[in-house]
Amino acid sequence: MEKTITVTVNGTAYTRTVPLRLLLVDFIRDDCGLTGTHIGCTYEGRCGACTVQIGGRAHKSCMKLAVQADGKEVTTIEGLGSRDNLNRLQQAFSRYHALQCGFCTSGILMNAAEFLKENINPSEAEVRRALVGNLCRCTGYSHIVEAILAASAVRHGVKPVPPPAGTEPDR
Amino acid sequence: MYPAPIEAYFAPRTIDEALHCRAEAGDDSSFIAGGMSLMQAMKARLATPPALIDLNEVEELRGLAKGPRGVTVRPMTRYRELAVTTALHGAMQAIGDAAATVGDRQVRNAGTIGGSLCWNYVASCMPNVCLCLDATLVLVSLDDGERTVPIDEFLIGPLETARRDDELLVEINFPAPKYRGVASAYRKYGGTIDSLPIIGIAALIEVDEAGVCTDVRFSVGGILPTAQRFDGIGDVLRGRPGTPEVFAEAASAAAEAIETQTDHLASAHYRKVLIRTLGRDVLAEAHARATGG
Repeated sequence: MEKTITVTVNGTAYTRTVPLRLLLVDFIRDDCGLTGTHIGCTYEGRCGACTVQIGGRAHKSCMKLAVQADGKEVTTIEGLGSRDNLNRLQQAFSRYHALQCGFCTSGILMNAAEFLKENINPSEAEVRRALVGNLCRCTGYSHIVEAILAASAVRHGVKPVPPPAGTEPDR
Repeated sequence: MYPAPIEAYFAPRTIDEALHCRAEAGDDSSFIAGGMSLMQAMKARLATPPALIDLNEVEELRGLAKGPRGVTVRPMTRYRELAVTTALHGAMQAIGDAAATVGDRQVRNAGTIGGSLCWNYVASCMPNVCLCLDATLVLVSLDDGERTVPIDEFLIGPLETARRDDELLVEINFPAPKYRGVASAYRKYGGTIDSLPIIGIAALIEVDEAGVCTDVRFSVGGILPTAQRFDGIGDVLRGRPGTPEVFAEAASAAAEAIETQTDHLASAHYRKVLIRTLGRDVLAEAHARATGG
């Protein structure tokens, strides 16, 4: 009924004895104490807020058992950047006001970060399609799409489209 | 939604190990592939396997190989891989079309063609595409060794296939096209982008040098009891040029012949409208690919 597993999350190895039915998202939140990974639906695989990267690929962590991640490298939002050192995508989210309540944001960032690795210069349509697995109930997605496009453009030395007037952050 | 307690979990590394794990785990145990359907069923307690044999670490079950007799796709190949490979372009391009539009990015990173075939959900893409492309499946078990099952006999009904619970799907084989002018395509329509299809259509067309259709295979998914091929379409298309009018006529014949059902997603009539319109477009797409257009 239980198994001892070691999962490397953001470079730190976590060895825990867990019930076989434990979902990976609960392992990350409750056993590793990394609560930036969110549960937005009732583990139905619908909302995408629990998206993390396993072996560099975006996965909804409610769709996996924790034991399936044994021996794997997992990256969560806490491993993407830090408060003092936001990565480019996070900076773009801040600059383009791509979040309101923020609940879905970590899942979207983990998905979009992988998407941008493979899509160096995506179109708006491609970005929108990449977001199918992530629900946001506040923003209407427009600013999220702009932020992801800007992050990809910056990466490749293309001057990003400036944010609309009046949307600059205060600081 | 949460899985019921699970008593045993196995993560075999080879096909042989997987079969022995199954024997040890017992009759009610279940293989798990990408888990995009089974995990949902387990969380909803529609499936309560006491033991799981996880196929995700079985390297032998991944990847695809192209040979003179056709293409072999291993069942644990993920949608993402099928969506980006160029090895399937032409005759088997419908697989890539379907794989690229399954679920969402996260689903495509995890879900597998073999898992979808063995689950055989009514509103799914892979059983339909494999039916159109005349796949042959290889199943193995400890008791009976290897057996080969044509896709027509494999797909039985909703969530039902010819695979016995102790059998493991190890190969999906697609025959090589007879000559160059063969191509396939797939399209679907669902309630939201990339969602489960209300209707999905796969078509494979063979053309001669003048672009005249010499043969065609056409199948429809999203209907009960399982995906169906409509062979009567050959009578409409064979020997005729690939024009929009001809494709519309052929798809209309399919819509008329195929029995559709009314459910919470769509009426039987609406499904026929979709067969007609999607069917026309898919035939045109496959024909354009076959003629290099």
